[in-house]
Amino acid sequence: MKVKDIEGVMRSKFPDAPLHMDESGLTGALWSMAVPISGIRDAAGAFDAAGFFLESITALDFEDTFELVYHFNCYEPMSRVVVRVLCGHGQVPPSICDIYRGAVWLEREVHDFFGIEFSGNPDMRPLLLPEDADYHPLRKTFGKVGAYHKREVIYG
Amino acid sequence: MAEQDTTRASQRVYTLNLGPQHPSTHGVLRVLLDLDGEYIVKADPVIGYGHRGHEKMGENRQYRQFLPNTSRMDYLSGMLFNHGFVLAVEKLAGIQVPERAKYIRVIASELNRISSHLLWFGTYLLDLGGFTPFLYAFDDREQILDILDSVSGSRLTYSYCRFGGVSRDIDSKFIDMTRAFLKRMEKRWADYDGLVTKNIIFIRRTRDVGVIDAELARRYGVTGPNLRACGVAFDVRRSEPYEVYDRFEFEVPTGSRGDALDRYSVRFMEMRQSCRIIAQALDHLPQGDFMAGKVPQKLAPPRGEVYSAFESARGLSAYYLVSDGGPGPYRCHIRVPSFGNLNVLNDVLPGTLVADAISILGSIDVVIPEIDR
Amino acid sequence: MAKKVREQGAPLVQFALLDRVLNLARANSLWPMTFGLACCAIEMMAAGASRFDLDRFGAGVFRPSPRQSDVMIVAGTIARKMAPAIKMLWDQMPSPKWCIAMGNCAISGGPFEYDEQYAIVPGAHLIVPVDIVIPGCPPRPEALIQGILALEDKITGGERKNVLRRFKRISEALN
Repeated sequence: MKVKDIEGVMRSKFPDAPLHMDESGLTGALWSMAVPISGIRDAAGAFDAAGFFLESITALDFEDTFELVYHFNCYEPMSRVVVRVLCGHGQVPPSICDIYRGAVWLEREVHDFFGIEFSGNPDMRPLLLPEDADYHPLRKTFGKVGAYHKREVIYG
Repeated sequence: MAEQDTTRASQRVYTLNLGPQHPSTHGVLRVLLDLDGEYIVKADPVIGYGHRGHEKMGENRQYRQFLPNTSRMDYLSGMLFNHGFVLAVEKLAGIQVPERAKYIRVIASELNRISSHLLWFGTYLLDLGGFTPFLYAFDDREQILDILDSVSGSRLTYSYCRFGGVSRDIDSKFIDMTRAFLKRMEKRWADYDGLVTKNIIFIRRTRDVGVIDAELARRYGVTGPNLRACGVAFDVRRSEPYEVYDRFEFEVPTGSRGDALDRYSVRFMEMRQSCRIIAQALDHLPQGDFMAGKVPQKLAPPRGEVYSAFESARGLSAYYLVSDGGPGPYRCHIRVPSFGNLNVLNDVLPGTLVADAISILGSIDVVIPEIDR
Repeated sequence: MAKKVREQGAPLVQFALLDRVLNLARANSLWPMTFGLACCAIEMMAAGASRFDLDRFGAGVFRPSPRQSDVMIVAGTIARKMAPAIKMLWDQMPSPKWCIAMGNCAISGGPFEYDEQYAIVPGAHLIVPVDIVIPGCPPRPEALIQGILALEDKITGGERKNVLRRFKRISEALN
C-alpha cells in the first residue's frame, strides 16, 4: 500500500518529527506529521515520487503562530495523510509549486486570506480578492471574529 | 487589453478577455487569453468575481447557522454539499444517525447528482450550439426538482439534511414520484443517445479535444469525472465509503483518452449508476426514525478537527472544521474540486483554438462560486 | 390655464399614441441580458427552459451582449470585484433599458450580508437604478415571470393598456 510505504519514507526523512496516528478517523487521514518549515519541500518531493496528489493547502491563524496544513492523498482507498508546518507570523515558507503545479493557486489563496508569503512562487497576485486588495480577511485581526486562541488551546 | 509586438511582425500576440460576463453557464469566470490568430498561446483564468466570504462567515456563525451557506457554494450540488457538512459536524460532535435517515440522505444526494449532470449536459450542448438538448435536460431536471421540492420545500438550495438526520420524513408520494422518475429515465437515455451521443457534429467537437493525461491531472489535484475520464477509477464513495454507500452495488465508470467526449460519456454513465443506487436504496429503505433524538440546538463539539470528504457532482469535496469547543467553528475550510479542475486549464488550453476552448471549459464542468467561496 | 411644464428628461416632442405603441412593443419583446452571477442564474435558466417558457412573453431571447439587450436581470450576489463590471455593462446598454434585481442578494445582499462583510455589495441598487425587485432565495421561476410581467406593466402603464397580452387572470376569466 502506497500510504504504508510513504510512512516509512517520511519517518526516515524526519526522524525527530512527531507523527500522530489517527485512530478515531476524525481527521480523515491515517496519520499526521508535523514537519519543520525547512522540510516541506523534501516532504512534498517524497509524496510526489510516491504518486500522491495534493488535495488541499490551508492555514490556521493562532495568536502565537500560523499553521499550514497540507493534505495529500492517493488513488488507493483510505490513503489520506496530513503534513502540518508551523510558520510564525511574518515567516516565509518555501513554495512547492515546482513539485506540484496545483500549488500555485493554492498558495495564492492562502496568501490572499492570511498574508503568508511563499518564496519561490512566481505568481503572488490576489486570486480571490480584488486586484487592489490590501487586507487579508481570514486573519483573526480582521473584521468580525468569533474567537482568537493560542495553538495549545485547541491542539494541547 | 494590450497588444504586444514580438520580434517578428508576423507573430503578434493579442490578449483577449473572455468574461467575466459570459453566456452565464458557468458563473463569473474571466480567462485572459493570449492569442496568435485563433490559437491560444497562454491562458490565465482570473477568478474571484463570485467571492462571498463563506469561510469567514463560517467562523462567525454557529454550526446550524452555516447550513444555508453550504448549499450556496456549489448550488448545482446543493444537497451533496449540505450532506457533506452535516456529516462533518456529526463526526465532530459524535451524533449517531438513524439508518432510515442515512438511506434518505443517499437518495436525495444521488437525485441531486443526476440533476447536476443533467444541467451540465444541457448547458454544455448549449455552449456548443445545440439548443434542443437543453430543453430536454431541463424537463427531466424539473421532475427531480419536483421530487426534492415536495420533501424539502426548496428547488435549488436545500437545507434538508440536518444534524442527526433529515428535517422531514419521506412519504409514499415521494417514493412513487422517484420510482416514476427512474422508469421515465430508462427511456430517456435512448433519446439522449440518439440526439447527442451519435451526432457527428458533437463527436467532431469533443473527440480529442482538451486531452488531460493522468499525470497532469495528478499534479493539479483534478478529481471527479474529469479524472475518471483519464482512466483513473477514483471515487470517494468507493475509496472512503460514507453513509451507507458500501451497501450498494454500483460501478465507477472510467474513460480512456481523457478528452471531452470521454468526460461526457463518464458523466452519462454516472447518471445511470446513480439511478441504480437510488433503486437499491428504495428497495432496502428501512423503517424507523428520520432524525436522531436529543440533538441539542446549540452544538458545542469537543476541541479538535475533522476533515470529512464526500463525492460531489464535480469531484472530491471536503469540509475541514477546526473546533475550539465553542458554538461555531474556529476555522471552516472547504476543499472544492472545481479549484483543481479549472487550474488544469493553464496547461490544457495553450495550443488549442478559441472555439475548442469553449468546448473544453464546458466539458470540465466548473461552478465558479464554488471556487470563489 | 396652467402652463404645461416639460418634465426634466422627457423628450421635447411627444407623440402620445406612438409612444403607447412603442411601449407596447418594448414591453412584449424584452430581451434580457444573460447576467447570472450565482444561484439565481439557474432559476433564470429554468425560467427560460421548457416548463416555464419565457418565450411566450417575448422575453426568452437572452442576449449575451449588452448592446443588444433591453433589460439586465441581476441574478445573484454582487461581489466587490464584480461591481465595476456591472456598472460598465449597464453603461453599455442602449436606452431604453431597465433593470430587474432578482433574488435576495441583488436586493440587499441576502444571506451574505452581515455587519462586517468585506466581500459583497449589498444590493444592486447601489450600482445601477433598479426597476423591479424579485425577492426569494432563489425565487421560483414563476416569481421571475411575475417580475417580468410587472416590468411590462410598468412600461405600458398597466395591464389594461397591454393589449398584446393574450391571457387573463383566472378571476377575470371566470367573470
